[in-house]
Amino acid sequence: MRLSFRLIMAIVGYIVLTVVAIIYLMPFIRSITASFMTWEQAQRMPPEWIPDPFTTRPFEQILGLKYFPVWLINSVIISASIVTAQTILASMAGFAFARVKFPGREMLFSLLLATMMMPGIVTLMPTYALFSKVGLIDNLLGIIIPGLCGASSIFLMRQYYLSMPQDLFDAARVDGCTFLKIFRHIAFPLARPALGALAIYQFLGSWNSFLGPLAILKSIEKFTLPVGLLFAFNRAWYVEYSPIIAGSTLAAAPTIIIFIIFNKYLIKGIQLTAGKR
Amino acid sequence: MTPSLFSNLKSLFEKKSRREAIEGYLLIAAGTSVILFFSIFVMLYAFYLSFFSWDFLTPMKFVGVENYVKVFEEIWDGICGGSPFRTQFFIGIKNVLFYTAIVVPTQTILAIILAVFANQKIKGISFYKVSYFLPSVTCSVIIALIFVWLFQKEGLINYFLSSMIPGFAPNWMRDVHYALWAIMLVAIWGTSGNLMISFLAALQALPQEVYEAASIDGAGRFKKFFYITLPLLKPMIGYSVVVGTIGCLQMFDLAYAMPGPGFSTTTVVQNIYNTCFAESKVGLACAKSFFLFAVIFAITYAMRRKFRYETT
Repeated sequence: MRLSFRLIMAIVGYIVLTVVAIIYLMPFIRSITASFMTWEQAQRMPPEWIPDPFTTRPFEQILGLKYFPVWLINSVIISASIVTAQTILASMAGFAFARVKFPGREMLFSLLLATMMMPGIVTLMPTYALFSKVGLIDNLLGIIIPGLCGASSIFLMRQYYLSMPQDLFDAARVDGCTFLKIFRHIAFPLARPALGALAIYQFLGSWNSFLGPLAILKSIEKFTLPVGLLFAFNRAWYVEYSPIIAGSTLAAAPTIIIFIIFNKYLIKGIQLTAGKR
Repeated sequence: MTPSLFSNLKSLFEKKSRREAIEGYLLIAAGTSVILFFSIFVMLYAFYLSFFSWDFLTPMKFVGVENYVKVFEEIWDGICGGSPFRTQFFIGIKNVLFYTAIVVPTQTILAIILAVFANQKIKGISFYKVSYFLPSVTCSVIIALIFVWLFQKEGLINYFLSSMIPGFAPNWMRDVHYALWAIMLVAIWGTSGNLMISFLAALQALPQEVYEAASIDGAGRFKKFFYITLPLLKPMIGYSVVVGTIGCLQMFDLAYAMPGPGFSTTTVVQNIYNTCFAESKVGLACAKSFFLFAVIFAITYAMRRKFRYETT
């Protein structure tokens, strides 16, 4: 009885997990295959999964669009700046919150954590109002500056530094090192795993962000990929849908590739925090 | 120890700790000031703006609590069945509450069921994890663009649905009754896999001794699940319900990128966004956003008390 229940659970488990996995993967497979099809074939029902004839025309159409490469570059500039700034600023602050004693440390840290539950729209509108006075509207800097550091990043780095042995830093202190030096020569280089996870999270966040860029970036040549693709779709620049699908596939490709390469890392991070909860 | 030596040491120690404090402030200065400026400071500025009538261009005009009065009038008007054109904020609240009430329980229950199935010796578990996680790393606008295509009347989803339920082929995104449901399905598709991985981790971290003790006492599998597993998962369930609710109440991307006809998919944040950036009523939009903030805060607070989970 015991064994047979296990067996049934395993079989049912495999069936359920596989069916759900197919449902989760279906839209991705569908859009990747459709990107290489003629629109006529992509429309056909029952659905066809193998491009015949194989064509790259959807990609040519979207890449032939003057603005698509510009949107791609804008997205890259924004993501690269935010990832760089966050890894440096958040690890500095995270190290200090974990290992340096200063008055008001706990209070400041809880204040930072409290800011995490503020709805994005509450801060977007006043930020827009301020930026409109200093010329940061329709400017990539208007997206980058508010993203230079984040409370969740500081939290992640602080947790990591708390998990490192205190002796490491004490030894350097005895040798007369300042904390700034300890950070630069010991803490920062040793935090590589956490910095990697942080960089991936920040890349995904900034690459996929929509509300802020939608509000702040006004002219077509300043758009990021999500804003631009939606704009092209809404303006019905194409009679056919396949260039939009190909563009979506291209725009999602960096996040998907990075996720597939680093997934163990990311899932591990989730498991760690979930276990602690 | 002579007093002079003691005071020397003390002053040395004080000097050292003062130096440490200065270094600490230097290290946190840049990051913390960016965060506090773009959260606390701009929030106070938004609160200030909510007492003014302003359109970004002309001089600001102080109007007192008029904006807040307007918010409540719009909600009251909506409750009394006023014209949808004048009560979009109320419609947004109604849609978002309905959306949250469907999406949060569904994705949580689905995630728990999947996690229970995955919590056995499964070969290729990392393949399943990757495919479940994939939707949540993909940009929601891109997901919406793909799903608008899949949800077409002659699209892939209707093809599968009508093969299971003959004759069931709604024109999802063009039908007032189905558009919000389509968005809900996409949202559930997008988050449940991610949640499932958190639940799986929580399941694997449960203490095994409790289960052994229960077996000795003769508890069956279903009893064990309902009397041991679920109660032990309560903090995790609480956390995912609270975070899911906060996210759902602020829903914007999907509703903006795959809009239904009329006001059938209008959300609160969408209405606030339009009030601010399309109608240029900055003060009113700020007042609305504080109303939303208050609702989110109250719900979070109430749920935290109910679930009593520890925040990290």
